[in-house]
Amino acid sequence: MPETVTKDGTKDGRGLRIGVCGPVGTGKSSLIALLCRELAADLEIGVVTNDIYTDEDARFLRSAGVLDPARIRAVETGACPHTAIRDDVTANLIAVEELEEEFAPLDVVLVESGGDNLTATFSPALVDTQIFLIDVAGGGDVARKGGPGIERADLLVVNKTDLAPYVGVDPVAMVSDAGSVREGRPVIALSRTDPASVEALIEWVRSELARHRGGALVPADPGPMAPHFHADGTSHTHDHDAEHIHGHQHA
Amino acid sequence: MVLLADARLPVAGHTQSGQLEAAVRSGLTAEQVPVFMRSRLASVVRVEAGTAVVGLHRLRAGLPLEPVLDAWAARTPSAPMRDTSRTLGRALLRLVKRLFPDSVHVGEVAALERPCRPLVLAAAAATGGLAPASLGRLVAYDDLQTVASAALKLLPLDPLDATSWVHELLPEAERLAAGIAPLTDPDQIPAPSAPQLDLWAQAHARTTRRLFSA
Repeated sequence: MPETVTKDGTKDGRGLRIGVCGPVGTGKSSLIALLCRELAADLEIGVVTNDIYTDEDARFLRSAGVLDPARIRAVETGACPHTAIRDDVTANLIAVEELEEEFAPLDVVLVESGGDNLTATFSPALVDTQIFLIDVAGGGDVARKGGPGIERADLLVVNKTDLAPYVGVDPVAMVSDAGSVREGRPVIALSRTDPASVEALIEWVRSELARHRGGALVPADPGPMAPHFHADGTSHTHDHDAEHIHGHQHA
Repeated sequence: MVLLADARLPVAGHTQSGQLEAAVRSGLTAEQVPVFMRSRLASVVRVEAGTAVVGLHRLRAGLPLEPVLDAWAARTPSAPMRDTSRTLGRALLRLVKRLFPDSVHVGEVAALERPCRPLVLAAAAATGGLAPASLGRLVAYDDLQTVASAALKLLPLDPLDATSWVHELLPEAERLAAGIAPLTDPDQIPAPSAPQLDLWAQAHARTTRRLFSA
């Protein structure tokens, strides 16, 4: 069986693996259904879902009728959704590889994490790029709270903006809060009733796919360490396992 | 080497309950978990440990492994259990390939069609110079620890109790290891029967609401 990821992490021409994570109820499954609906006509797609109880999300996606049900796999996480996308990605990786082998060649595999908290993000060993979802109904201050996903996921989606008037949240301020902690990384205010926002999301996916194919996409780990700030105004994050030497003492 | 049975390794151990979830669903209580663990040691774990030890012998002797895989499959009548062991074998293989990229033994097991987990462990043991009894102990300990960890997720428990159960069953694991250590031939792999575990495995594979893969 050919390994699709080699020891040094290079890819043997396989498809793009996109992670979708974020708290419970922010719209991960709907976002994946939306992507399938918009992209399935010209891209070969597979989906892996992680759930507390196995296959709720997989069943939702299958019933949405946006993708051949055989291309949607549910992975059990043993009540550890965070572990399954971060410290032991084996079960998910095997599911991704099986889909890639069975339906080769796939252009994109979407991996949906089980709904967890603001700290859960994907290991770069599992996905090439990741979308973190929050929604206006979760409260206008969520973006300000930050966290690895909000601050450093490849894309932050502020979802359900059409609900903003009903929950007393200003989506513009929310996106602006998010933008201020993301150092220029993209933010999309999404509503499935707003075609322009859907188009922006699809455009982002296509551009990530182009970067992946061109070899320019290097998986970046959003977490778990928060960046810290130095007195001289510079900031940095601690990458996992990286040898890190401070040239100066912290106060 | 013995740490290869550590549940903290990234080999999908956290997705497994060793049929405990199905057992709990059909009424098994927290107090009965030690009995459940002991039943596994007397049945499916003996098959897995025997398979690993015979596999280790044949790897060292340069004998083919297919008969061991066949003997294991014949003694594992539940298809979901065979699938689980093969999936976990694949998971472990990822790790041992990374740890021992040049091992001939790992290469031999990797060349099998869907090797079961005990044969992958045997390859690691052959590469790392582990004795048969140590390998048997490792398989037994791994099973105890997997079920104990899953029990903490499934039942109202004090985590110290779960660890005590593992500790109390260690002599049993030791007896198992000593019993299977001398085995060298696939025909000698124990063939106990545990129909209730098989039934739980079958039932679990069909349920749509589960925390654990098996």
